[in-house]
Formats: sequence, structure tokens, C-alpha cells
Amino acid sequence: MRFRFSVLLFLPALATLYAQHGSTPDRPFSTPEDEAAGAQSFRSQCAACHGGDATGGVVGPSLATGNFKSGGSDEALFRVITKGIPGTAMTAFPLGGREVWQLIAYLRAVNIGKAAEQAKGDPAKGAQVFNANGCGHCHTIGTAGGFVGPDLSDIGSHRSLAQLESAILDPDADVASDYWSLRARTKTGQTITGIRLNEDMTSFQIREASGRLRSVWKTDLASYDIVRASPMPSFKGKISAGDLENLIAYLASLRAQPNSEVQAK
Amino acid sequence: MRSFFAAVIVSGLFCGTAPAQVSFDRLVRAQREPQNWLTYNGNLGSTHHSALDQINAANVANLDLKWVSQAQSLEKFEATPLVVDGVMYISEPPNTVVAIDTRTGRPFWIYEHPMPETTYVCCGNINRGVAILDNTIFLGTLDAHLVAIDASTGRKKWETKVADYTQGYAITVAPLVVKDKVIVGPAGGERGIAGFLAAYDAQTGKEVWRFNTIPHPGEPGNETWPGDSWKTGGGSVWVTGSYDPEANLIYWGIGNPGPDWNPAVRKGANLYADCVVALDGDTGKLKWYYQFTPNDEWDFDSVQVPVLADLSWKGKPRKTMLWGNRNGFFYTLDRTSGQFLQGKAFVKQTWAVGIDEYGKPIKAPGKSPSLGGTDVWPGVQGGTNWYAPSFSPHTGLFYVTAWEDYHTNYFTWEQEYEAGKSYTGGGARGPIPSIRREPFIKWGTEWGYGVVRALNPVTGEKVWDYKMRDVSDAGILTTASDLLFSGNREGYFFVLDAKTGKELWKKYLGSQVAAAPITYTADGVQYVSVAAGHSLFTFGLKAAH
Repeated sequence: MRFRFSVLLFLPALATLYAQHGSTPDRPFSTPEDEAAGAQSFRSQCAACHGGDATGGVVGPSLATGNFKSGGSDEALFRVITKGIPGTAMTAFPLGGREVWQLIAYLRAVNIGKAAEQAKGDPAKGAQVFNANGCGHCHTIGTAGGFVGPDLSDIGSHRSLAQLESAILDPDADVASDYWSLRARTKTGQTITGIRLNEDMTSFQIREASGRLRSVWKTDLASYDIVRASPMPSFKGKISAGDLENLIAYLASLRAQPNSEVQAK
Repeated sequence: MRSFFAAVIVSGLFCGTAPAQVSFDRLVRAQREPQNWLTYNGNLGSTHHSALDQINAANVANLDLKWVSQAQSLEKFEATPLVVDGVMYISEPPNTVVAIDTRTGRPFWIYEHPMPETTYVCCGNINRGVAILDNTIFLGTLDAHLVAIDASTGRKKWETKVADYTQGYAITVAPLVVKDKVIVGPAGGERGIAGFLAAYDAQTGKEVWRFNTIPHPGEPGNETWPGDSWKTGGGSVWVTGSYDPEANLIYWGIGNPGPDWNPAVRKGANLYADCVVALDGDTGKLKWYYQFTPNDEWDFDSVQVPVLADLSWKGKPRKTMLWGNRNGFFYTLDRTSGQFLQGKAFVKQTWAVGIDEYGKPIKAPGKSPSLGGTDVWPGVQGGTNWYAPSFSPHTGLFYVTAWEDYHTNYFTWEQEYEAGKSYTGGGARGPIPSIRREPFIKWGTEWGYGVVRALNPVTGEKVWDYKMRDVSDAGILTTASDLLFSGNREGYFFVLDAKTGKELWKKYLGSQVAAAPITYTADGVQYVSVAAGHSLFTFGLKAAH
């Protein structure tokens, strides 16, 4: 108990200095051995909810984006692990201080965005490829772009380089269920299509092409299909290998911004 | 076949027409489309009155639960939703916006504002609602940003920093849209802020004008603050104002002066704390103000909703503003000029002996907060507070949620200001919690109780009372069928006869109601929604069989 107290006491200063800078020599228990021990602890304590590779599981969100909803500073991670998040499935884990620090060391290392730094292409040239191919008609980056396809503002924190390449060359391979479409015919002969936003036993909630939000009672439908194909065309053979590398590098560079980390003054 | 579908969808996606646009003209004429609830207070005059009448005294006993939407957060709702053409937009605590299908209660999308690790807000991580213009939803955040969100997709369009949240500024108020601008201001009256109202271009988020609710040096009113005391003078903004399109005036109630309970460090009237200010709808320039409580000593924020009512006043039509104030007085003002028309205590109060003919209160001796504590009526939460009142043009009555015979023991002490930290210069004590948490009601009624009170806006006289055991933080909705909907801390949601105050129906929702009910239609059928605890309940008549 005394040990944990002393750790917490110097946390604010440490967190201010090193927030979001990843593993540092000044964080206790942050050697490669500690990181490996943290990985082991993660599998035993955390992976059931957050997934074996920390990219999200059946209960918990991805912890590999570099952005943590309840705060990404060392202090916040320490607090969340040891105290939990009230009102969520994240309970307090009564671990020793060393084990908590090792978990934090692992979480700093497991960041998808950091892996994306291995991209071979040139992000600036990739941005030109993005614009030249009209990707922004369907995809939002920041506050600009269309809403037909996924928002790519921080896609580099969510997708590996291989996943990005697959999404460009074979969009139908893995269409997120957020982008499946409802195609339905009502009992009165009307056709209804739109992005399926939600579905329960009795109804669909959809966004029509116009952007209009509406619901549909299943009892009003004569038939319906959930279309899993992506409206996005494949770019296989349509862009050069160099452009593809650059485009991937650009998308990988789009990272989640850490939560603001201002400490109490 | 699959590629055919994809092609159909793609072409559809690119060729669609824009969804229904909520123009400012629609907001001005909101009362003509009672199927929707387009602004925080239902219309820009903030009457919280609806022309719907499907639910009436004869059938209200058939009210039935249609759906419940439970928030992800366990913090309580103080939000009033909007309803636009079948879609409800509600802000859940802390700063999450959900677009809900009004027919089923199911979500279309959820926007979660990334929160800083620490917020500096005074009284709970709450938010009171959002505004809409065209196809954009506007949200103020606890880290004092203003966010524009696409109403179709829930995606952020822009985000503007309004103030520095680490200095105690936070936004809890639902923004007000006036023409092409979005108006917000910061909470922080207990954090030593210097408040303001600011207007932002709805398209870009760029600040267009700012009115300092605590005037800076060189601005009129700064002379009512000695030395640098204006810098921590409060004047927070945490309940939405009103707008009169004919006068082109924005009306807004301003919070307490800071520090709350130590007026010794801010001798003077302390403008524009505890005022209603009337600002030009285009420039934000001050046209007039009226101060309810000069040099406030009891935390009597005047953040109440300005209710705009056109009355017959002594035989002549008059454009008025009705105001049940936290200080325990009910006021009728001329909203064109700011002229004081009448002011009368609507609950027991002991801090003033009365109001003079110009509308200035005459303070009673011996009622200042003291080191040993001073008993004053009304207590620290006031005769009323942020809860939306209602004016019904049908009954001609003003309805307010009031805390009757309620007092607290007020204290004062010296306090040094520290940025972002509590700066109140005193405190208050009494058995009724200011913000209810626990489910028990155990104190004696001699400490106060809640009423829904109907007042005649011309005479200021009480017409009827609906008495409760506990106090209430719930707003009021009236309808053209002369029903009144409200709730209370006891957890009841109830319907009264607006003419007599007779209870027609009630239901226990299991947690406190701390927001105002709204009404609208889904598939042409009248619904009423009200938040209680961390859930939003929606009622409608049982379908006829």
C-alpha cells in the first residue's frame, strides 16, 4: 500500500512530462522485459474483454489506437486499471504497482499507429493520390468529405498496413457492418434502400441516400435483403504500385489525437 | 446480382436530395409545426407550450409507456431533447449526442465528444441540450468547446474553443440559434470566471460577436465592480435564452456574481450578474438590461428562461416578458423597453422588504450571510431555478416550479481565488440537498416543499397550487388541451388540469425528473417524452382497439 501511494504521488509530474510520449526511461518498469511481462499480464487479465492483441474484444474497446477514452496519461491509465470506470464493465483490478506499470508499458508498445510508421510510401504524395482519385467524395477526413463511406480521420490508429491495402484493392473483402445496406420492398410495393444503422426484432433504422433518417417496421415489408457489398470500387490495377504505397502511407498517418491531457494546476 | 445492388446503391447515394432542412424561418414559426420540438424551449419565445391536443383530460388516463431510452452514463439527465421530422436529438451526460427514432426509441447514431481527463465544472457532468439549424446539431461541451455535428451522420463538422476549461469555464447550456449564428456562454459562477455570451457563425464556427456579461475595463458597467473584482465576477450562462424576431432582440438570464456569498469584495451593483440582458440580434450590442438582485449575496442566479408573452395589460396589448426569479419574486417586464411592470413575491422570501416603483428591490436588514450563518428565505436553490416554466395562451396563466417556505443558513468567509478551483466566499446549509442523489425524503416539511404554481401574469397573484412532498427540479409543459405535464424529485411524472391544478394522472419513474417534458407526434400520434434519472421515457395514448 505504501508503495502504491508513493508511485501515485509523483505521477502528476511524471505524466505532465511524458504524457503520450510512449515508453520512457523515467517510467518505472518499462524495460523490454517489463513490456513482455506486461503482455503476459494482458493476456491473463485483460484479453478476455479487450482481445488477445488489444484491438478490441467482446466487451472492451480497442486499446491499440493510442487514444484512450478515459484518459491516456500514465496517471489516467494507472487509475483506470486499479480503480475501474464506474458505470461500465471495466472493474477495478487489484494488481500490484509493478504489474500495473508493466501493463502500461505493454499498452504503449501495442499501438497500431506506431506500427504504421513502418509504411514505405510518402504520406504527402499519398494525399495527392487520395484527392486525385476522388476518395473524399465518399470519405471524411477531419471535417471535410462525404459520408457514404467510413470516416478516415484516424484510420491509421485502427487498421494495420495490410488491412489498409486490402480495403483499397478488395473493398468487398471486409465491409464493416456499419456500412451494410437495407434493400427492402414494402407490402404496398414501395422500394426502400439505405445504410442500415440498426436492426432489432421489429424494425430497421436506416439512412437514405438523401441523408434522411427513418425507420421501417419489418411487418410492413414483403421482403428485404441486407447487402454486404461495398459501394466502393476496387482500385486493383487502377493505381500504380507506387501510388498504392503512398496512399497506404497517407492513410496510416491519419491517427487519433490523444485526449487533452491537461493536469490540475 | 450483388454488383447490381451495389450499383443501385451507389447511384442512389450520389443522386439523393438533401434531407429536411431546419431553416431559421422554421425556428421562428416553430409553434406552427407542433409535430416537432425545434428548440430547447419549444419555440423562440420559450413558452414551453404546444398546440397539440390529442391527449386531453378525457383520455389522459390511457397514457401508456411507448419506449425508454437509457443513457450510457449514470449521471442524471438535465437535458431537453429536440424532435425534427421523426428524429429526436438528445444530449446524454457528459457530452454525448444521440439521434433517436421517435417511433421505436432506437438510435440512428451516437456522437461522443472526447472528454479531457479532468473537468472543472461545478455541479455534475451534465448538459442541457442541443440546437439545430439546417442539417447541423450544435453542442456545447464541458471542456468549453462548441461542436457542430451533421444531423444525418453524427459526424463532426467543426469544433471551436469557446473558453479555457482549466480556468473553470464549461458549457452546460443548450445553444440558441439566431439567424445564421449559434449563441452560447460558459457556466462557472462558482469558479471565478468572467462570463460572456458569444455568437458563432453556424457554417464555420468562427466567433462573430461577444458580449461580456461581466464588463471589462472601458465597457459600461465595469464601474459597478471595484478594482479587479470583475475578473472573477462570475456572470455565468447556463440556461438558454429567448429571441423576439419582431424586436430583433435576444434575451438572456445571467448568473450570480462571484464570489457567491462574499459581497464585501465586490461592493457595487455587479452588472450584469443577476440581470436579464436584451442584445441586438445581429451585433450582440446591449439594448437594455434589468437587474433582479443588485449586489447579490445569496447566489440568486437569474438564469431562468425568459418567457415571452403578448398580454392585454391594463386594457392594451403589451409585449411582455414573464420571469419567476430564483430570488423569490415574479416579474412582468415590457420586453421592448425593459420597463418594470410588476414584481411580487411568489414564494416566502425574507431578504427584501419589497420592490420599489422602479423595480429595485429594497433589501431587508440583517439578512446578509455571516460567519455564524444567517437564515434566509428562499434558500440557496431559490424560489425557482433553471427549470423551464410555461405560459399558456389558452389559460393566460404562467406556470412555475417553485420551492415554497424554503430556507437555508447562509455563510460567508474570506477566500483567495485560485484558477479553476471553487471560488464561492461562503456556503449554505440546510437539510434539502441542492442536487438530489439519494432516493430518501426524510426532512421535515418546515424546511420547504415543492409546488407547481399557476400565476396571473398581470396581477402576479397565485391562481392555484399543486403541492408535493419533495421539492422539484422539473420543467413544465402545457398543451392546447389545457393539460400541464411536469415531474419532481420524488420520481413522479404527472399531468394536471392547467385551469385548476387538479391531478389527472401520474406515474412513478423511479428517479428524479430534472428536465422539462416535451411533446410532438410520431406517425401523427401525440407523444410526450421526459427524462428521469438517466433514462428518457416516452408516453402516448394506448392504441384504440
